[in-house]
Formats: sequence, C-alpha cells, structure tokens
Amino acid sequence: MEVATEVGSLVLRVYLLRSLWTALYAQNLAPLNLPLHAMITYATIALLMSLVLEIDGTRLIREKLREGTIATDLMKPISVPLYFFADGLGQTALHAVLIVPSLLFSLLLVRIDVPRPAVLGAFVLSFALGYCVNFFLNFLMNSIAFWTLETFAIQLVVRWVSDLLSGQIIPLTFFPGVLGRLVFALPFAAIYSTPLLIYVGVIAPSAWASAFATQIGWLILFAALSSFVWRAGSRRVVIQGG
Amino acid sequence: MLAAYLQYWRINVLTMLEYRANFLMWFAFSIVYHGVALGALYVTMREFPSMNGWSFRDMFFLYALWMTGHELHNTLFFNVVSVPDYVREGRFDRFLVRPLDTLFQVLTVPSQTMPDSLILAAITLAFATSVAGLHVDSALIAGIVLVAIGGALIDLGISLAVATISFWFVRVDTLRWVVMSLEQDFTRYPISIYTRGVRVVLTFIFPFAFMNYFPATFFLHKTDVGLHLNPEIGLLTPLVGLAWLTVSYGFWRVGLRHYQGTGS
Repeated sequence: MEVATEVGSLVLRVYLLRSLWTALYAQNLAPLNLPLHAMITYATIALLMSLVLEIDGTRLIREKLREGTIATDLMKPISVPLYFFADGLGQTALHAVLIVPSLLFSLLLVRIDVPRPAVLGAFVLSFALGYCVNFFLNFLMNSIAFWTLETFAIQLVVRWVSDLLSGQIIPLTFFPGVLGRLVFALPFAAIYSTPLLIYVGVIAPSAWASAFATQIGWLILFAALSSFVWRAGSRRVVIQGG
Repeated sequence: MLAAYLQYWRINVLTMLEYRANFLMWFAFSIVYHGVALGALYVTMREFPSMNGWSFRDMFFLYALWMTGHELHNTLFFNVVSVPDYVREGRFDRFLVRPLDTLFQVLTVPSQTMPDSLILAAITLAFATSVAGLHVDSALIAGIVLVAIGGALIDLGISLAVATISFWFVRVDTLRWVVMSLEQDFTRYPISIYTRGVRVVLTFIFPFAFMNYFPATFFLHKTDVGLHLNPEIGLLTPLVGLAWLTVSYGFWRVGLRHYQGTGS
C-alpha cells in the first residue's frame, strides 16, 4: 500500500510537470541550452532522485536523543556516526528499489533523454557526491537535537527552502543575475543541480572536474562540521543524562 | 452550542499565549511554505512570461485566491482531517455518547488553531489584487469574500468525504494524500494546461477549479479556454461549496450509522 502511494503520487507529479512545461514551452521562447525534451528529462529525473534524497537516514539521531537510548550506542565499541550512515544507506537502498516501477510508469507519460555512457557515469558519480552532502546536511540538522531536542520544525523549513535552492523544483539556471550567482554558490546546488545539469548536458564535459571539485569541497566542509558538532554534542549527553 | 464554540476559541487563545514560541514558529512556517511556492513561480515566469495567456501577476492572484479559501478552511475546519486518527485510536467513540452534534464536537477539539495563516492569506490576497491591477470596489470585495467562503466549503466537503471513508476503511492516508496533492499542486496553474479528463475531474468531481480558477478567470476578465465555460460560473463557488458539503454531510450521516469502532 505504501509502495502504491509513493509510486502513484510520483506519477501524478510527472503528469503535472509534463503539463506545466509543455504549456510553458509552447508559448514562450525556449531557453537556448534547455529545450523542452531536456527540461522534461530534468524534471523527471529530479523527481526520481527525490525518492532517494528525501529519505532522512539520520532521523534516528533525533529519536535516540529524545528517548535517551543514544547513551548505550555511545558505549558500544563502534563509530556511531558510521552506524547512522549505514542505517541511512539501508533505508535508501530500500527506497531506491521504488525507482524502477516509478520510472516505468513515468515512461508512459513522458519521454526521457538517455545520454552517452560517459555522461551517465559522470551523473552517477555526481549523484553519489550529492547524496553524501545531503546526508551530512541532514546529520547537522538532526544533531541540533543535542541542544534543543526538537528539530522537526527547523528541518521542515530547511527542506522547503532547499527544494527551491537545490534545483529540485526548477533548474537553477532560471534564477536571474545576482540571484543566479548566489544560488549556484550555495551548498544546496551540490545536491540536485550539479548531477542534473551534468545529465542534461548544461555542464559540459570540460567543466565536470570543477563541478566535482565544488561538490567535494562542500562534502569536506560539511563532514568536518558534522564531526565537530557530533563531538561537542556527545559531550553534552553526559550532562543531560539521557 | 455558541457558548461551547466561544469556549473553544478561548482555549485556543490561552494555549497560544502559553506556547508563544511554538505559535510564532508555525507562523514562520506558513510564510516560508507559501514564500517558496510563490518564489518558484516568480523565477519560472521570469523565464517564461506566459502560461496559456496568464502572466505572473495573474498567477499570483490565482494562488492567493486559493490560499485564502484554503486557510479559511484550515482555521475553522482543520480537525476534520484528524477523524481517521480518532477512529483508529478509538477516541471517536466519545463524540457519539455526548449530547452535541458529532461533527460540531470534532470541529471543536482544542487544537492550537489560530487565524494567523488566514490573516497572512488575506494580506497576500490584498497584495496580489493590487499587483494584478484590479479595480477595487465593494462588488469585488464582496465577490472575493463569497469565493473564499465557498472555497473553504469545497475544501470541507472533500475532507469530510475522505474522513467518512475511514469509517469503513480505517486507513485512508493514501486517499487523503492523493486528494491533497490534487488540490495543492493542481490548483496552482490554469486548468487549460491539463488534458481534458483532468480538467473535467477538477471541475465536476473534485471541484477545486471553483476555489480559484473560475473565480480568477472572472475577476481578471479572462476567457476560459479550458472547458469553454462562461467565466461568470466563477461566482457560483459558494453554491458549489454548499452542494458538495450537503452531499458529503449526508454521506457522513450514513457513515455514522454504519460506524462500529475499531475495538481499539
């Protein structure tokens, strides 16, 4: 039943995006680097990616902090953040399976461009980097629970804002002028925008290296921040008593 | 009954005063949620200035009109959405043994509801009306108020029908989700962008098009190229709302007679 809901809702949104972009492209001048078929490909792949990226694999931190069971985890001879990553990866893999039926049903409604293998490979690599950036962003959000115990509110706001600024709803290339430069400079672009723009060819092969480098830069920064916050947080657990 | 209703709002206000931070947080939520939706629309329509003849100004008005009816519903009737939860947890039974109307009791479960989002919607709509360059007179204001009330009734009619289905099938999350998504995502654009079947569904089956599309077409002096109906039917929104509510209230009564509880 859950599966049917998720697939069904995704197909509904694929229908919506097809209607929306078809209408917009029919009556306006198309952007030079993004013709209609590329736009529909972009939006459909973005939806399929969201099946994986909207899973918050680190929600466990928040729950364990609230219930106090984090104390026993900290005693175990394991790297607790790594344990969360593995747990998240497991949940993600489970949801990744949904991509197959979703893609098949979507193909009834839209046609998706399939790029050459090299581009596909670059997309997969960039997607994996984006996944890790997203993981650490969630990790940081959930780690706020060390201090406030309630993070749901902040997370929801960050999710909505990041949907817009990461290029999940619309390509970041649509943002004009300074706003455009700003959204590309923010870490959210590393999550959806970079892999998607590689897929549709807006980021040309010559620019792949710098795109990966930016993603890796954000990844290192977020990982370092997470490790810092984690250490500061786990010292607090003792005070709080759990 | 009126005394009980006033008491309900008194409790809501007292709760708000007690949890001020929580109240402000939810208010900030509303702003961010609608801000993101409108921001995405603005950026998209800078690149593509026309959506089947609708400009950003028109689309802003379309959105604000939906938002007002929807937030009016959320302020007055939001508890209906919780009925499936009450049924599942067995908390619904207590409404049946008390001497007041069951639906009235559902609507007045203290719930931290405040009209803040409705006020935000009204401000947004006032702004959108001036951006769209509409001539504001008492007829327009009266029309908009009636459409907002009708929109809230359409919303209530549909959420009540979904809630009633939970008397038979306890879990209605899927259905609720699909209907919610139909409303929130599909009301953002003029219905002419959809295929014919979907236009008919949004007009005659789940009449969300009456919450904003038809009234906006009328107020903005546009022609309906979706179903080629006279835009004046946009003024029928309150009647459509009443009709839908009557049917689903009848359905609700049937459901109540059928209700057996989940044994939880």
